[in-house]
Amino acid sequence: MASSGRFWLIRLISCLLGIALCFGIQSVAHMLGNTYYERLIILAGLYVTLAVSLNLINGITGQFSIGHAAFYQVGAYAAGFISVHYMTQLHMGGYAWMFLMVVVGGIAAAITGFTVGLPSLRLRGDYLAIVTLGFGEIIRIIVQNSDALGGSYGMKDIPKDYAIWAVWLLAATCIATCRNLLRSAHGLSFLAVREDEVAALAMGVNITRVKVTAFVIGSMFAGAAGALLAMFEGFVSPPMFSMDTSFIILTMVVLGGTGSITGSVIAACFLSYLPEYLRTLQDANHQALMISGASIVAGILSALGSAALLKRMLEHASNLKGRLIATGSSIAVLIVAKLALTPLLTLVKPMAEKQIPAEQLRMVIFALTLIVIMLIRPSGILGRSEFSLDWLKRVFMPNRRMATEL
Amino acid sequence: MHPSYLIVAGLDFTALPQQLVNGLLLGAIYALIALGYTMVYGVLKLINFAHGEVYMLGAYTALFTSWYFGFLPNLNQYPNSSFWILLIMLAGSMIVCAIIGVLIERFAYRPMRNNSRIASLITAIGVSLLFQYGGALFLPNSPPPSVAEKVNPFGGAFSVPIIPADAKLSEVVKATQPDYEQKKKDLEEYLASTGQEEFSSDPQVVAKRDAKQAAEQSYMDAKRKLETSGVKVTIQRGQLTMLLTAIVLMLGLRYLVLKTPAGRAMRAVSLDFDSAALMGINVDRVITWTFVIGSAMAGAGAMMTATFLGTPLTTQYGVQPGVKAFVAAVLGGIGNIPGAALGGILMGVAENLVVWIGFSQYRDAIAFVVLIFILLYRPGGLLGSAKVEKV
Amino acid sequence: MSLLELKDATIRFGGLIAVNTVSFAVEEGDLFGLIGPNGAGKTTCFNLITGVYKPTSGKILFKGQEVGGLAPNKIAEKGIARTFQNIRLFSSLSVLDNVVVGGFLRHKTGLLSALGYMPSAIKETEELRQQAMHWLEVMDLTDVAHHQSGDLPYGKQRRLEIARAMATNPDLLLLDEPAAGMNPQESEDLRATVRRLRDEFGRTVLLIEHDMKFVMNLCEKIVVLDHGEEIAQGGPAEVRNNPQVIAAYLGEPV
Repeated sequence: MASSGRFWLIRLISCLLGIALCFGIQSVAHMLGNTYYERLIILAGLYVTLAVSLNLINGITGQFSIGHAAFYQVGAYAAGFISVHYMTQLHMGGYAWMFLMVVVGGIAAAITGFTVGLPSLRLRGDYLAIVTLGFGEIIRIIVQNSDALGGSYGMKDIPKDYAIWAVWLLAATCIATCRNLLRSAHGLSFLAVREDEVAALAMGVNITRVKVTAFVIGSMFAGAAGALLAMFEGFVSPPMFSMDTSFIILTMVVLGGTGSITGSVIAACFLSYLPEYLRTLQDANHQALMISGASIVAGILSALGSAALLKRMLEHASNLKGRLIATGSSIAVLIVAKLALTPLLTLVKPMAEKQIPAEQLRMVIFALTLIVIMLIRPSGILGRSEFSLDWLKRVFMPNRRMATEL
Repeated sequence: MHPSYLIVAGLDFTALPQQLVNGLLLGAIYALIALGYTMVYGVLKLINFAHGEVYMLGAYTALFTSWYFGFLPNLNQYPNSSFWILLIMLAGSMIVCAIIGVLIERFAYRPMRNNSRIASLITAIGVSLLFQYGGALFLPNSPPPSVAEKVNPFGGAFSVPIIPADAKLSEVVKATQPDYEQKKKDLEEYLASTGQEEFSSDPQVVAKRDAKQAAEQSYMDAKRKLETSGVKVTIQRGQLTMLLTAIVLMLGLRYLVLKTPAGRAMRAVSLDFDSAALMGINVDRVITWTFVIGSAMAGAGAMMTATFLGTPLTTQYGVQPGVKAFVAAVLGGIGNIPGAALGGILMGVAENLVVWIGFSQYRDAIAFVVLIFILLYRPGGLLGSAKVEKV
Repeated sequence: MSLLELKDATIRFGGLIAVNTVSFAVEEGDLFGLIGPNGAGKTTCFNLITGVYKPTSGKILFKGQEVGGLAPNKIAEKGIARTFQNIRLFSSLSVLDNVVVGGFLRHKTGLLSALGYMPSAIKETEELRQQAMHWLEVMDLTDVAHHQSGDLPYGKQRRLEIARAMATNPDLLLLDEPAAGMNPQESEDLRATVRRLRDEFGRTVLLIEHDMKFVMNLCEKIVVLDHGEEIAQGGPAEVRNNPQVIAAYLGEPV
């Protein structure tokens, strides 16, 4: 069939474009020259994979899992362990080995995901969250106490090998997989499990299989990312996969929008760059920027106060105008409060004297992000919307008939 | 020597009673913290992730209060402590924690009440992280400070024998003691009369020194055998105070919940939020009081661990105890107040049993293992009940 | 062989017997009503039939096979679909997508084909969409096909639940208070639609209703429950005049 030929041609072209994009990102990184930017771009790519894979479990299937770093860790350690012990024996290297390790990491993490997903069958909401956190900690503690895996010092001497295009190809694959899922009727069954399990069950959806599948696919991608991390860094250690890492990934999903793949991608890039950005902030003398304790406390209080105020106002706003007024006034309150509170708090001597380097604000900013997003827009910035060709067409070519699915 | 039947399969059963008692003491603290989790979950159906941080701030309050009374770090001489100083520290921690708990409820949880439970949980996680890392910017963290030992006026310990020491060994001690003392006196007198020092190479001194050391060896040996022949349990006076205070607080809470109208209101709200509101109960006030009491309990626990157990303080102080206490609450049946007490004790004992068996590096993991088992097989906990969702 | 048969179906919750040795049979092509005062156990019966609860004793037979205690999704596979007393739509999905979920039950392509965006999966998704549109036409919901289902007015939400259930291609359709909250015109339209589901599409319908006019004008056979027990069975006229039924609804005459 002519249309079948056309279909495959378009697919081939889009796959090639995707791969070309990955190499393009690599070229950009090389152009920027130093390894610092390379590192940033690699980390961004890894976090994109982590955030999108978590979103598959949390946002798309509605299973509140907050121990995602455990899968990352399993993949990293699996790949690291096998690399340390078998790479030279098997006389492999280069891209073949990298691919193999990604598969190994993915499978190891998928098995873990299956194990964690099983209890998810019976638990709802916050209980499930705590159990996933618990599994994450159990895995971390087991690894920490296992001498074969390096104990609390970690495993080093993993042969270093990295390719920026590989990291982003994994991210692209993860995005494509989730996107394809959402475009299919299968994806609707996942969403149905999120929306109402009882109704989904009554309509014949095997919610057990859906939930476990979500965990397996989500954890698989996280493990694959872990393998790439291990090979990039050359070592892995338990603190790299703490509860805080899970919370950071969760913040990315929450900020971008639970259920929105596009949102997760953007938020992951943004939030993975944030700590580095803070580190680069300098004052007039080109020293690391220090912020006074008073200013920080004033900032936190103003942010929380204006977010709470905005929430209140949004509840009563009924149209776009109302929402704009609410947003505008809250921002005004934020600025005014910060300007007013800072000198006020400077009166408290210990706070004024305390000078804190900007980069230490990293986790405080993540924490504030979680709270503020939950207050004013729990569904995240993009909510459940996606960037898509349809969206582009609607925006740029409003008169064109809406393209139908292939 | 130990009666050999008490060492089985590599486990030293003579150490077991001590570990059980330690577990009980630790468990009392977990119980206090667990009460906060269980009461808040009962009325709001929310896991107060930030409860561990309230605990942490209670410990810091105790620290600063002790500094105020002059127990600053690295002093050469400390003031005398007293029961009243402890009481003020306790009250201070409880009050500060109560205030912080109320503020968190008022500004972070109350606005989220109409949102989904997941949204509230994420907010709670955010608050917890904010306190941990925001606190780390301002509170003394590294090197971690701890409350000076001297704050505890109750020194010493009780020893409770379980299996009495072998009487024959006691005789041996009695026999060797005079000999040792005689030889010691002998040496000292000789040194005094000849004006020499103990380590001189005078053959007389050497002989007397050797004699004394031999006698000392026999005496110490006999004494050690005596001590280890029985099985006993040692309880520090300070820890006993901790246990008694915890019991008093929990009994007070039980009275409050069962016998007062305020307690009745709390129980009503935890059974059915909307109906309670419709019946005219001021739900907001009940929730505020729940947080006040729960946080105060945690503050009491924090003051006691900081003071009597001397653990160093960082802003991560509340993370592990918070998790363990939460599991304790779930174990006993979340929402169930006696359950929290029971769960706390069980968690404390379980943790010490893990150490006793020899897996002390896994003592923190045991909490998660217990949690997973409970949620899989009996989500209602030991004293709770499973609820059926109506279609 | 009856399409659905309950033989002494019983369920106890602790000390409470919610459904007590209830027996009745629904034949293929019936328009069957299940009525009774509040708390009589009607929805509990539905829950027994659809696998939400497992019967404590007794049998539930569908097409001759025992289905008591099977998981709800398995029962849906066998050909029983339902709507809910308190509407349970997938609220943030569109109207069309809700129905597609129903149709998904009969899907044939695997998950991997979907993830790989294979032509077979794409084709099936399109077919399911078209089938869903067909059911929206039957239930007169095409104008809101792409609206978010949570935004619909109540009456349309009820119709959507029916469309979704029909998309699973059931032999037996269980409707739990489909006319609740509808005005007389809507009720009449719904009656016509339900009759059409039987006459034109050949489905068997078992419904719970409180609206007596609705039941008496639609159902050909009726069973009455009270306090978990079956107190009357028969045609509308029989049941309407049965003194026990009247007593159950109105209370004993003074």
